Amino acid sequence: MKLWDAKNEQVAKGDLEQVQLERLQSTLNRAYKNVAFYRKQFDSLGIHPSALASVQDITKFPITTRQDLGDNYPYGLFAVPLRDIVRISSSAGTTVKPVVVGYTKGDLKVRDTVTARFLTAGGVVDTDVVQICLNPGLLNWGRALKEGAESIGALVMPMSLMSTSKQLMAMQDFKTSVLLTTPSYAMHMLGVMEAISIDANSLALKAILVVGEPLSADTRDRLESSFNVDVTAGYGPSDVMGPGVAFECNQKKGFHISEDHFVLEIVDPDSGNPSPPGKAGEVVLTTLTARAFPLIRFRTGDLAFFMDQTCLCDRTLALVSGITGYTGDVLTIRGVKAHPIQIERLLNGIFEAISPRFLVHLYKENHLDMVEIWLEMTDTIFSDEMKILDNTLRKLRQQIFQILGLQVMIKLIEASTFDHYALPSCGVVDDR
Amino acid sequence: MLRITNLNTCYDRIKALDNVSLHVSAGEIVCLIGANGAGKTTILNTISGLIPCALGQINFEDRKINGLPPERVVAAGISQVPEGRQIFGPLTVLENLQLGAYLRFKKREKDAIVEDLEWMFRLFPRLKERIKQIAGTLSGGEQQMLAIGRALMARPKLLLLDEPSMGLAPLVVTDIMNTISALRDRGVTILIVEQNARASLRISDRGYVLETGRVVLEGSSDELVNDSDVKRAYLGKDYKTFWEGRDRP
Repeated sequence: MKLWDAKNEQVAKGDLEQVQLERLQSTLNRAYKNVAFYRKQFDSLGIHPSALASVQDITKFPITTRQDLGDNYPYGLFAVPLRDIVRISSSAGTTVKPVVVGYTKGDLKVRDTVTARFLTAGGVVDTDVVQICLNPGLLNWGRALKEGAESIGALVMPMSLMSTSKQLMAMQDFKTSVLLTTPSYAMHMLGVMEAISIDANSLALKAILVVGEPLSADTRDRLESSFNVDVTAGYGPSDVMGPGVAFECNQKKGFHISEDHFVLEIVDPDSGNPSPPGKAGEVVLTTLTARAFPLIRFRTGDLAFFMDQTCLCDRTLALVSGITGYTGDVLTIRGVKAHPIQIERLLNGIFEAISPRFLVHLYKENHLDMVEIWLEMTDTIFSDEMKILDNTLRKLRQQIFQILGLQVMIKLIEASTFDHYALPSCGVVDDR
Repeated sequence: MLRITNLNTCYDRIKALDNVSLHVSAGEIVCLIGANGAGKTTILNTISGLIPCALGQINFEDRKINGLPPERVVAAGISQVPEGRQIFGPLTVLENLQLGAYLRFKKREKDAIVEDLEWMFRLFPRLKERIKQIAGTLSGGEQQMLAIGRALMARPKLLLLDEPSMGLAPLVVTDIMNTISALRDRGVTILIVEQNARASLRISDRGYVLETGRVVLEGSSDELVNDSDVKRAYLGKDYKTFWEGRDRP
């Protein structure tokens, strides 16, 4: 099996440790020197970058949260002057303000490299026809994957807003050999194929690479046998990094961490202590090479565990499991991170003083995550004219789509239902 | 080959190096760049045992060498070409070169030394022309060649070069740099300290950027040459306002 970056993917453990230490020390020095937020954080804990004598010492440093990213909107966490930034990508984030990530030219190169590692490990080569099907909320990843695949030299069909049947038509006509998508969308495609009688054997597909959501063993089996392809997955927090933070190889035993560019910790979400191999905890990431947007101990909200085994492939990069769940109340819907509070704020914006209670109901339909918002019917919403009521709801749906990139349905329910069933206001019912 | 972790060096109570880690792999040319007083020379002097390090570890070929006296460091295979050449002025070119092989002479490697002298003269034909000349009367460039030649006579595995371009005319700098680059083909690994960042990045594989005793950046020479911070600070492409477009943190 080919490796994209053999020298760094097969690095000897001792050499890797040295490189990680050097990069971590210089990252901390730069963050402390150039980013007021980090300097304040470090100072408040009374810790200086020079306190780091080994990679394990990273646990002494303060955690960075999504809240911090929102608080420092837009440029507060940038470590280089704006004129060095060549790309900004912004995502909804999980707080009031969006999350903005900046890239220097060099940062984009690094992102391409780690993405290309993931793609190559999944079997992508320069002669492939790669089709990217992601929902709008994962636009940034669509770009990262497109650029990664292009750096390999593959022919790329970037993500578009075509319907599933059109995507399938393109897949047949353009002889797509690699599909990049989310597990649920791949399953959804399978369903549509059955409905409109497209035979999987008529496709030129040889591999499906998935991102954004955990890939269950069942889903993998189902996709592999139905499409007769290999299915591998990539990992990264979709709001702040690319999909190549960790990736599966053809052994499919776990995710190889791109350890020369990221330090990945697994910590107990409550105590913050490091979790031993095999024990699930929250994934905490630190960048080692990022210039524009260094992240120190970023809490991803994803749960996973270290795998204490070596892989049969030629890579020496350590293994971490796939995502086993999520912490706190950050929701992951079709790979997009969201927080119920964002919907609450929208409602407050629309209805001002008397904002109705609501519930976010998540369920699966045709393998896709669906979002239903149960909204309390109040006097402010109610109108005896259907048109006005319709308008209000449409406006709400549009605004949610603009912020989260997700289509949602809105169901109006009686106020008494909230009381009768003791439903939590602005809570989440997850039936997935 | 050389692996340094968490090096701390003090001059009296002033910290010159603050937790510096770096490595040099066999066959590499690695450069350290940074402004005056950033700690570049201190790193070299600490490696070669001229200054004791307060804390940290220096491993050469998997052997701990910190704390060793300079002559043992030379014996281990590390030679330093000091800043400002520091050749033996009153001695001839030949005597300077022979002194470089002092430790080997004691080990009765006479034939090999003669062979290496030939190599030096092939490497620096100018030195052959001036073999009997008193070293102090050589030009700056020739003195630098002699200093490098003298260090090479110890047959080092790792050569530490401190500001080889200092005080030399641009043409001579190119000459010296090309020679250094050619040394790699003879199996010599090189750690070079330079204020002339452009010249040293041109011949090196990787580099570290030092600021006030700390490494603030590391990467391949390619990355560093194209890095905006490096361009501004060390390649003379300065801008009026560093934090243009945003508030100063």
